[in-house]
Amino acid sequence: MWCYEKVLQYPINIKNPNPKAAQIIISQYGGPDGELGASLRYLSQRFSMPYPEIQGLLTDIGTEELGHLEMVGTLVYQLTKNLSVDEIKRAGFDKYFVDHTTGVYTTAASGWPYNAASFAVKGDILADMHENLAAEQKARVTYDNILRLVDDPDVCDVIKFLRAREVVHYQRFGEGLRIVTDKLNEKNFYAFNPSFDNCACRR
Amino acid sequence: MNMNSLETRLQQAKFAAWDAHLYLDTHPCDEEMMQLEEKYLCMADRLAREYEEKYGPLTARTGSGKEWLKAPWPWDNSGREC
Repeated sequence: MWCYEKVLQYPINIKNPNPKAAQIIISQYGGPDGELGASLRYLSQRFSMPYPEIQGLLTDIGTEELGHLEMVGTLVYQLTKNLSVDEIKRAGFDKYFVDHTTGVYTTAASGWPYNAASFAVKGDILADMHENLAAEQKARVTYDNILRLVDDPDVCDVIKFLRAREVVHYQRFGEGLRIVTDKLNEKNFYAFNPSFDNCACRR
Repeated sequence: MNMNSLETRLQQAKFAAWDAHLYLDTHPCDEEMMQLEEKYLCMADRLAREYEEKYGPLTARTGSGKEWLKAPWPWDNSGREC
């Protein structure tokens, strides 16, 4: 069950609307390596995890990613406030505007709607942990790319925070992978799938 | 960002406690980190009560109805101090 706290994890106060920047940043809302995909990936993977450290880790990181989803949505919202139709047209924001006005929708920067095919739940602890390490790096790269494309220091400050969190999550998943391999058969990590075979043993 | 605003100080304390909590998922027996987390949680709780007194409830458990609904919601920066 989720508890909501009525405060952002990190402060966001954008003074200058910028629909061009919003169009880029929205990829971390509904794009392939964005926060929605991250939260759904981790919150879904945790069901088939056999070890409590990993159940906890996936629950906690998945929850934090929902907080980040809120932050990216906030950035898009504040960057598209008080726009004139002229500004919308000049920024090329008209293609988004026609379908969503200045609402916040789960889309990638390309306009492609959010797609769950962007993440995997393989039901195998090694595969899933490696997926998560890669996911955090992809998110980090996306934030790096955003920093190349956006200038506003109010925006960059928030992006740098989010980027730093991806690096920390990567670190935590790395530790999670080590914990998992310590628990597996030291002669053969692939001898069995602890996400599935332990149940089979009961039959 | 106003580093001294009540909201920012609350966010900082909550974040410190959260980061410690996450670390403890993969280092569950780290006593030193548990103590640090406790310290930041106390700080965050104190700041949360102060914040709620001034601005209204932070969770569904600490407020409902008009109090819960009142502005600002977290994504709204109109009328906020910088």
